[in-house]
Amino acid sequence: MKNFIFGVFVFLLYQGQIMAQDINGKVLDETGLPLPGVTISNATASSSTITDFDGNFSINAKAGESLTFTFLGYQTQTVTASAGMSVSMSSAATDIDEVVVVGYGSQKRSDLTSAISTIKSDQITKQPAYNALQSLQGKAAGVNIIANDAPGATPTIIIRGLGTAESGRSPMYVVDGIITGSIANLNPNDIESFDVMKDAASSAIYGSNAANGVVFITTKKGKQGNTQIKVNSFYGTKSILNQVKMANSSQYVTFFNEKQAALGLSERLSTNQQYNTDWFDALAGVSFSQGNDVSFSGGNENSTYYFSFNNYTEDGLIDDHDVSRNTLRSSNTLKAIDGKLKITQNFSASFAKSTPKPYSSFTDAYKQAPVVPVLYPDGRYGQSFWNKTTGQVGYEIGPGESGGRLNAIGNPVANAFYANEKNKMMELQGLIQADYEITDWLTATSRFGATKSYSKTRVFSDIRARWLTADPTRTGASFDASQAAAPNSTEFADNSLSYRDVESFRYNWDTYLTFDKSFGKHNFDATLGVTQERRNDIYESYMQGYNVPAQENYWNINLGSSNPLKVAQQFYADPIQVLSYFGRIQYNFDERYYISGTVRRDGNSAFKNNAEYWGTFPSVSAGWVITNESFLKDIKNIDFIKLRAGYGEVGNANVPVNISVINVDAGSGNNNYVFGPNQDLILGSSAGSPATELSWEVTKEVNVGLDFELLERRLSGTVDYYNRLNTNTVIDVKPILNGPYSSNYFDHGGEVRNKGIEASLNWRDNITDDFTYSIGVNYGRNTNTLENVKPAYDGTIGGSLGDGQITKRLQEGQPIYSWWMLESNGVWQTQAEIDANPHIGNPAPGHLRYVDQNGDGLIDDRDKKYFGSYIPKFSYGVNINLAYKNFDLSVDGFGVGGNKVYNGLKGTRIDGGENIAADTFNGRWTGPGTSNTNPGANRDALASSYFLEDGDYFRINNITLGYTFVDMFKISKLRIYGTAQNPFMFTKYSGFTPELNNSGTPRETAGIELSAYPNIKTFIFGVNIEF
Amino acid sequence: MKINYKKIVCFTFAAGLLVGCDDFLDVDKRKDVTQEDSGVVYEPVQFVNGIYGMMTEWDYAFSYLGITEIISDNADKGSSPTDPGGDKGLLDGLTHTATVGSVEAMWTNWYKAIGRATYSIQYTEDYGLTDEAYKNRLIGEAKFLRAYHYFFLVRGWGDVPLQHLDLTTRVPKEQVYDYIEQDLLDAIATLPEKSQYAPADLGRATKGAAKALLAKVYLYQKDWANAYEYANQVITSGEYGLEGDYATLWREETENGTESIFEVQARGESIAHGVQQYSETQGARGTSGWGWGFNTPSQNLLDAFNAEGDAIRRDATIIFRGETLFDGREVSTAVENPMYNEKAYSSANAGAGDGDKNIRVLRLAEIYLIHAEAANELNNSGVAVASLNEVRGRVNLGAVAFSNQSQMRTAIWKERRLELAFEHDRWFDLIRTGQAEAAMAADGKTFIVGTHELFPIPNNQLIATPGMTPNPGY
Repeated sequence: MKNFIFGVFVFLLYQGQIMAQDINGKVLDETGLPLPGVTISNATASSSTITDFDGNFSINAKAGESLTFTFLGYQTQTVTASAGMSVSMSSAATDIDEVVVVGYGSQKRSDLTSAISTIKSDQITKQPAYNALQSLQGKAAGVNIIANDAPGATPTIIIRGLGTAESGRSPMYVVDGIITGSIANLNPNDIESFDVMKDAASSAIYGSNAANGVVFITTKKGKQGNTQIKVNSFYGTKSILNQVKMANSSQYVTFFNEKQAALGLSERLSTNQQYNTDWFDALAGVSFSQGNDVSFSGGNENSTYYFSFNNYTEDGLIDDHDVSRNTLRSSNTLKAIDGKLKITQNFSASFAKSTPKPYSSFTDAYKQAPVVPVLYPDGRYGQSFWNKTTGQVGYEIGPGESGGRLNAIGNPVANAFYANEKNKMMELQGLIQADYEITDWLTATSRFGATKSYSKTRVFSDIRARWLTADPTRTGASFDASQAAAPNSTEFADNSLSYRDVESFRYNWDTYLTFDKSFGKHNFDATLGVTQERRNDIYESYMQGYNVPAQENYWNINLGSSNPLKVAQQFYADPIQVLSYFGRIQYNFDERYYISGTVRRDGNSAFKNNAEYWGTFPSVSAGWVITNESFLKDIKNIDFIKLRAGYGEVGNANVPVNISVINVDAGSGNNNYVFGPNQDLILGSSAGSPATELSWEVTKEVNVGLDFELLERRLSGTVDYYNRLNTNTVIDVKPILNGPYSSNYFDHGGEVRNKGIEASLNWRDNITDDFTYSIGVNYGRNTNTLENVKPAYDGTIGGSLGDGQITKRLQEGQPIYSWWMLESNGVWQTQAEIDANPHIGNPAPGHLRYVDQNGDGLIDDRDKKYFGSYIPKFSYGVNINLAYKNFDLSVDGFGVGGNKVYNGLKGTRIDGGENIAADTFNGRWTGPGTSNTNPGANRDALASSYFLEDGDYFRINNITLGYTFVDMFKISKLRIYGTAQNPFMFTKYSGFTPELNNSGTPRETAGIELSAYPNIKTFIFGVNIEF
Repeated sequence: MKINYKKIVCFTFAAGLLVGCDDFLDVDKRKDVTQEDSGVVYEPVQFVNGIYGMMTEWDYAFSYLGITEIISDNADKGSSPTDPGGDKGLLDGLTHTATVGSVEAMWTNWYKAIGRATYSIQYTEDYGLTDEAYKNRLIGEAKFLRAYHYFFLVRGWGDVPLQHLDLTTRVPKEQVYDYIEQDLLDAIATLPEKSQYAPADLGRATKGAAKALLAKVYLYQKDWANAYEYANQVITSGEYGLEGDYATLWREETENGTESIFEVQARGESIAHGVQQYSETQGARGTSGWGWGFNTPSQNLLDAFNAEGDAIRRDATIIFRGETLFDGREVSTAVENPMYNEKAYSSANAGAGDGDKNIRVLRLAEIYLIHAEAANELNNSGVAVASLNEVRGRVNLGAVAFSNQSQMRTAIWKERRLELAFEHDRWFDLIRTGQAEAAMAADGKTFIVGTHELFPIPNNQLIATPGMTPNPGY
């Protein structure tokens, strides 16, 4: 009905106009489809019009006059008017004309004086993913995405290097003006473009939020014209990309027995074993993903609408690891008061569900011995028990026989099976914005954006079954006896059930004026505004109960037993409010000389107790378009060259919090003690380290860049150099060992420098009219250094392998949390060799030998050496697109280099009975002269450079081949495609994946392959339909 | 005109936001009650409790084992042969260096405890307590604990910085001993006897504990007369007696019993709080086990028990593979190691994170042995024999007769080993008595004279205070 009225309205309008016009024509896009909404203007007659739904237009013009055709995203064309003309618009072949979001406004790329990368929707949707960030990998120089292939995982994004050791590392996301911390709620198909502010000159307008970069997401909107209906659907299968071949049973037995012999132990595994388990096969299989998506959009000159629904489901490699998400989005715009008032409203809702499984199962699968069965014949889960007398694996020990365990690793299949967690998440996000055109050069804008999210996590643990599974010699009767003896013990409850509910809310309210006016060749624009923001408004509750009924439908805490005591925890977080004033002024002369300045002043409630809780973040930048100078203006093949330079200051307000001055503990803790005949817990306290006042970190950055388009705009590119310095990095300080205070505290105590270059090059051309292609490459290189550390402030260790070994250290002059470990330089061949050289402890032949770096004849921590960082020094992307007739082909690749990763699967051993990779087995030392690189079966468990490998890799992220049918039946466009995601990876790394982010926390296991999800390859078949 | 009106509205709107918005930054705290809102007053006793709390640190369950027992001839590293236990393998092999974690952990822990003691003394003095006796008792407890921790430091590292003076300058050990003695004398003057405390204060430092510790402090300085004097005061105080059955000495039933002079308190029931994981790290490892299997009795110790025919103390100190324990727990033949430390075993909380194991620090039997040793050095052989045989008699070992001072000295030292095995005394005792080199050789280790008498100053300490002199040989 609405459409009908709208149609009639337009028809009447149209009828009214047609009288005075005498040139008719039609505008088509590259594929021959009608293009509605194109503006046609005739300078001679001062007339203009737009095309209708079918691309038709009629304009007051005489044949022979020049008509200019303009449409956002397409190349502007000037064509001589003729009756019945047909004009074919081609999409903007050049990035220079595109519109870039700059924060409280937008501008043409050609006017930009700072470093902003733009990625368009077609590059994102090519690679279906849960989180659109995953698809950005390799698309923009200097924007390093560390992907994570676990279902529903959030990739890590590092823009221009890691700028902080302990503070927040994630960039700020602005979705159509809504400030948010994550975009996991967005359907990638709803995204029109990403604009990534990389330098401080551009991001300083966001002040204390901007130090990690700012990522703008513009979502799709309706366009004038008929209702467009789009349907996208895909189905994919997934499997491990780079599976490591493990030792089989007979290899394991050989290895184990060699170790026993070397240790002087007499027990041996029998060479005749019953089982040969491939734990990865047992644990992980092929999994599936699919996405279905429908959108409706359209509009007229006064209103537009966009509505979409998306369903995305994905399974993990481990059974029952499922993720699904449904998203709804609606975006509308409305113009009123003669088009002077524009109201924009959008709303999205996302509903996600997941049932995660522990990644530690992948580590367990690596380490569990192949001689251990998944299940014993009696149906119980296999464990690493063996009979030392018979040498057989199993838990039955006859009289006079002795038994033991091969290792302390559990059954990975059982551990995954008993992990019972269910998450639900709902996120509602909305924006309302009003723009009022006060005059043609002044617009007032006010907008309110908010996000409300709810999440619920349910964890059920079958304590009894886990206890019985852990040791097959255990019986239900003994569990019952223990339970009866200690009814309050949580160790012997039948089960436990917990719920965690989190609600959070944040909003931002921006109001600003935009001024835009030209005086002759002098072009000015300015923005002035105020914004207030509230975040960290979080409610969290956690409940836990024991002994609930076994059936899932009764999983209520209320139905649990009264003992052990139920747990109830609830809190409201401290909200943070930020009040800011900002302004930007830009001027250019004749589109040749550009200068721009911004200033932001932020007040932050979190620092209200500090003397300085207001901060000012300025920036200045300038540009020179050399090609608009007369001496270069008409030179063929040099279409556009711009030099630009900028300086800016930005902040990171997401700093850690110092704890209070007096330390107390609620329960067991070293402030408390037990006194009295009943051994009562008596609370105590101690003086904490004197707290220092913390404030935001301030990063200063210089950026110099060059943009160019050459050879009739077929070759375009950008080169940038930057140098950014976090001037007051927060460091986690450990008090002097023999001083009175024990608690670590945070203080501003160093500087982090990131400097590097970025370059991107694009070539596009057509060989014939129906054969076009483009090739894009980009490259970014960054060096990261910690500088000017206050004395004794560095030295914080990290990278714990969980077995007492650490691998990282924060040290002045090195990248943040560099690898720090012993350097291995071979294998001890004989005892005589050991005795004659510095060694650590009492090694045996076959152990790794280490370098005595300081030459003191001892090997210890003082001989540990820095080995660089887990963060790549450089990353690069290659994107190739071909279109021939109705076929399209795209290939995308991504690579990194200069980083080191630690093979924690291979290198973290305790018992010596863990399994090894087949290569480790084959390459091992077996006696003097056999190997001087790989240790023998009897090896130590120290962290060393032996396990640190080059993390360089190049991966084909995507190969997509599609075919488009045009105008079939009532369908205007139908494309079918097949995609191979991550089909190949080229790396020397010996583990599953060198792309290791884990929690992303630099001092933790980032860069260490331990409990990490493997890289996945996915084969997808999909269709895109447009009506 | 219409346009002007709209302009005014819009500007007013923006300007209204620009002015007077600073109170937007006043956000009430919700998560934790701020100190001014809580009205919480910290009593001095809380800070004194906090010093005791340091003795429940995880360090005592792992690092402490390494530098008191595993390093000695009483114990081996334990666990799997391939499990280094951090640096336990290095300590076991006497191949430790300035960067081993256990040495750093205990150096740090003991200094932090001293820091807490000094802080609480100051806090208590400034607080304005009106009950002088109570105030002095709290200060006495803190001084006892400060002395207790400095005593570890001076034994472990020799000359060490006195924290209240300077963190870099190492004070000669005689002055450190003077400081310890003064603290203990002050504590003796103000602390009540064990029997004088209210029941709820059971576990606090007592006059007897301060005297017992002082006797041991004098013993280490070979101040025989004072060692004898204070040991004698403890023995004759009437506060203490020997438990009848040695086997029960480290079980729950004798906690804070008649023999106990000072012990670290622990509870196993929720909310459990003890020395974190002390029983677990030393529990049997592997099938049917309940722990990590570290700090296992050495063959050398077993031989020493057997040579003496000392079955009672042997079986009370060592859990044997395949044995059925006193509480009925069966230790499978499939556990990883042949022997485990029975004194660390807890019936109720064998493998729990926080267990109920009270760790005996000073007990009367040791005071008898100090008494005996001092008497022997003072040529009072009668008392020496009597005190020694007091200890032997309980475990059905024959009386030792005096033949000469040296024979008596050796007998007392041997008795100390067997009586106090796994009570974290052996390494310091070996160093004190000069037996270390020979004892280590007998255990197959190389003791480097001139180096191994002291632990290394931790490397991270030297990095932070570059002016500090390292210990020789590290």
